[in-house]
Amino acid sequence: MSVFVAVDNIDKVFDLSNGGQYVALKGIDLQIKKGEFVSLIGHSGCGKSTLLNMIAGLDLPSEGVVTLESKRITKPGPDRMVVFQNYSLLPWLNVRENIELAVDEVMGDLPKGERKSIVEKHIDMVGLRPHADKQPAMLSGGQKQRVAIARALAIRPKLLLLDEPFGALDALTRGNLQERLMEICEEYKVTSVMVTHDVDEAVLLSDRIVMLTNGPGSKIGQILDVDIPRPRKRMEVVNHPNYYSLRSEMIYFLNRQKQVKKRQASKAQVPISRNNLEKVNLEIGFVPLTACAPLAVAKERGFFAKYGLEDVKLIREPSWRGIVDDMVAGQLDAAQMPAGMPLWLTLGGNGGQPVPIVTSLTMARNGNAITLAKRFYEQGIYTLSDLKKYLQKSKDQQHIFGMVHPSSMHNLLLRYWLAAGGIDPDKDVSLTVIPPAQMVSNLQSGNIDGYCVGEPWNIRAAVEGIGFSIATDLEIWLGHPGKVLGVREDWAAAYPRTHIALVSALLEAAQFCSQERHYEEVRQILARPEYVGTDIEYIQIGDPNVAICSLEHHREYAHHLFFGEGVNRPSRTEHLWILTQMARWDKVPFPRNWLEIMERLCRVDVFSMAARELGLLDFSYSRGKIELFDGITFNSEDPLAYLANQKIKREFRIEEVVLPVPGRLKVA
Amino acid sequence: MPIKTTQTTKTSLPVKSGKQEPFLNFENVSKAFPTPKGLYVVLEDVNLKIQEGEFICVIGHSGCGKSTLLNMVSGFSRPTTGEVRLRSQQITKPGPDRMVVFQNYALLPWLTAFENIYLAVDAVHPDKPQSEKEEIVKYNLSLVGLSEAANKKPQQLSGGMKQRISIARALSIRPEVLILDEPFGALDAITKEELQEELLKIWNNMRMTVLMITHDIDEALFLADRLVMMTNGPRANIGEILNIPFSRPRDRTRIMEDPEYYNLRNYALDYLFRRFAHDDE
Repeated sequence: MSVFVAVDNIDKVFDLSNGGQYVALKGIDLQIKKGEFVSLIGHSGCGKSTLLNMIAGLDLPSEGVVTLESKRITKPGPDRMVVFQNYSLLPWLNVRENIELAVDEVMGDLPKGERKSIVEKHIDMVGLRPHADKQPAMLSGGQKQRVAIARALAIRPKLLLLDEPFGALDALTRGNLQERLMEICEEYKVTSVMVTHDVDEAVLLSDRIVMLTNGPGSKIGQILDVDIPRPRKRMEVVNHPNYYSLRSEMIYFLNRQKQVKKRQASKAQVPISRNNLEKVNLEIGFVPLTACAPLAVAKERGFFAKYGLEDVKLIREPSWRGIVDDMVAGQLDAAQMPAGMPLWLTLGGNGGQPVPIVTSLTMARNGNAITLAKRFYEQGIYTLSDLKKYLQKSKDQQHIFGMVHPSSMHNLLLRYWLAAGGIDPDKDVSLTVIPPAQMVSNLQSGNIDGYCVGEPWNIRAAVEGIGFSIATDLEIWLGHPGKVLGVREDWAAAYPRTHIALVSALLEAAQFCSQERHYEEVRQILARPEYVGTDIEYIQIGDPNVAICSLEHHREYAHHLFFGEGVNRPSRTEHLWILTQMARWDKVPFPRNWLEIMERLCRVDVFSMAARELGLLDFSYSRGKIELFDGITFNSEDPLAYLANQKIKREFRIEEVVLPVPGRLKVA
Repeated sequence: MPIKTTQTTKTSLPVKSGKQEPFLNFENVSKAFPTPKGLYVVLEDVNLKIQEGEFICVIGHSGCGKSTLLNMVSGFSRPTTGEVRLRSQQITKPGPDRMVVFQNYALLPWLTAFENIYLAVDAVHPDKPQSEKEEIVKYNLSLVGLSEAANKKPQQLSGGMKQRISIARALSIRPEVLILDEPFGALDAITKEELQEELLKIWNNMRMTVLMITHDIDEALFLADRLVMMTNGPRANIGEILNIPFSRPRDRTRIMEDPEYYNLRNYALDYLFRRFAHDDE
């Protein structure tokens, strides 16, 4: 559909009384289609009302233009009606007269009877028939806003602009009006732009949510598509599988803006060199999962300090998104990452711009499983082929599986597992990103059919009788890489000795985690609120033991592997396999220069020097060939042939990926 | 993960016999107001027992009588029938053992932050030496992080700061029961979250009993031990009480990682927007 409203690269600058200037908005570009409902959200002072005012014509941009149906907006007009938070009703006129005034003013050339019927129709539209003769003082806040909406719509604007329309109403009263507004917009196909700071309101009403960064110089930070079908009902929206992920996405964005503000206020971290290391003060990101054990132990048992890293802060991020954003922004020195993330970032998976990452340590293997809802178990679905038969029988239903990040092994293993069973992971089912902590509740409420995630979330679903593990690492790929250490390539170049010290500390911590006499202590550390923050019974470590992941019978389970022969050295072969899978599902292109990329990605040299520090000289590092449960062996000599032989796949791209020249860290 | 709620029945028996009287007890409380069209019954037969040191949130659509309910604890209003008792004593009038914080702050505009609080301390402790009273004011200003703003008048303060003063004033009297009538309803999202966190910190240290009206489910899930959900008026009652099991001290992001959070949130949403939906505001 063609563009209806276009905001074309606008800036808005205000002159200050002290002679200076304040840049409110910078380079805003936004196209709105006819019939769309778009929300603008951001913290106070982000310029969202300023942007709305420029669409209304109440204010003009300093640079750039705003157009409606290709005509430049220079002043207010009846084709764009604004509803304000404070209603703006005339207090001496009643409901009917307030609406009449607008209709008579704008539609004066229509016969009187027709104008009258327009007024009456709009009184009914907002359900104010019993109050039509009352003046504003006799109405509640919600009723007053209904009048303002009826008045705006009565003159048939092309565009309805709402500036925090429900901001003055309490959260529950707001709910009724939101539903009414939604019904009206759906019925009359009104194109609307709404300013709000209420995340639930934005998800409920919008087709797209435009999130603005903090001022000065606010920009569009992110645009979310709300693909929840219409007509919508509040409780159906809340129970939609995407609802809480959309909501988390917005809360994440707003919290991040809050943090950015705080960070700008506090001074930047200055590298401290000491102990013959370039930098001993580090911030390392992690996501609260059992797999974060080596980081937690390195901190708590003093392994960082032992290798001279005196001041290490572990930064707990609720989702992998946080790790990605902080690494891209250079806010973190290092991070725990899903095994595919270094490649994914390096190849521009995050928005197209390559961010070269290197990995010099594999921190955890195994510890993942695929969980299905209990109802599958009750219908006798115990295996992949049972699932395939079930899906064939129920083609009319949508089946949704949750995973945590496009670059995580959960996504790649789940896809591989489904495809090996003849199930197309994009066509026969749909996959959606859900933060780990929300998997269990989504499964319980029936929003998703299953998921692939790390512990403790599979164990927890089984313990609580909500789901069961249909496949674990034992059945898919025993010993697959799970989490790795990632640092930016420019960081590695700037702090080579620190890099080795960091890998040494984590390697020794991993060794500690793998020793049976320490299991109890490791579990206790992980259960603490600053790490995983969960009941200790959900934290299982140790190598294959019998656990509790099935509903009736006990089953063998592959727990995390933190240390051992062939466990920790970064493996080019494994990263190459990951590359074939990300290319297979078209998450990234397959680089023509893959040899160069693998060389730069896997820093085996750093690992080797760290291992030498620990005195692990006679260690075998070989992992042998990669063979998954379907019996197909990965030939690392010819990855493209392997990729071409996969039966179910997307059209993959082969491209030259040009990485920045490896250089020194740019100090901001 | 079953949701634990308490169903209340309209015909509950008096529980005086032998059992220990709870700290705060609503017993068969009804409230009716005369109108030109006859008697309007706001609340009918409300029973609720609250333990000392509990944090209770009350939620319901407008007109469900939740402010009326709390006014009978503060003593601004008396039940038409039934009793509200604090430590076995029937509540009949306002007193310094119960302090109220309103949404609109209720500060005197011609007094500074310091003077607004001093006025309250002085009214309750007229016999204390002035220096001691000033110390109390200073201490409570520091509790809410506003020592710097002591000499500012309300109009020089942001909404969040005004509400902090109002909370400091209530705390300076050392009430046994702190009553908050939608205290954060007028604040923007960030300020609101900051004040919720500060309130929780103060409550964790002092452990007074808190009764708070809110329209915000997320706020209640973060703060309360129990969430009292009202039916719609007239003749409103307590529909259900949601037990909120998150351990304390609470951290907002940790709570939102707990699957139970989403169960409770959806349960409360379902209660308010489906089972007890409110058509006409």
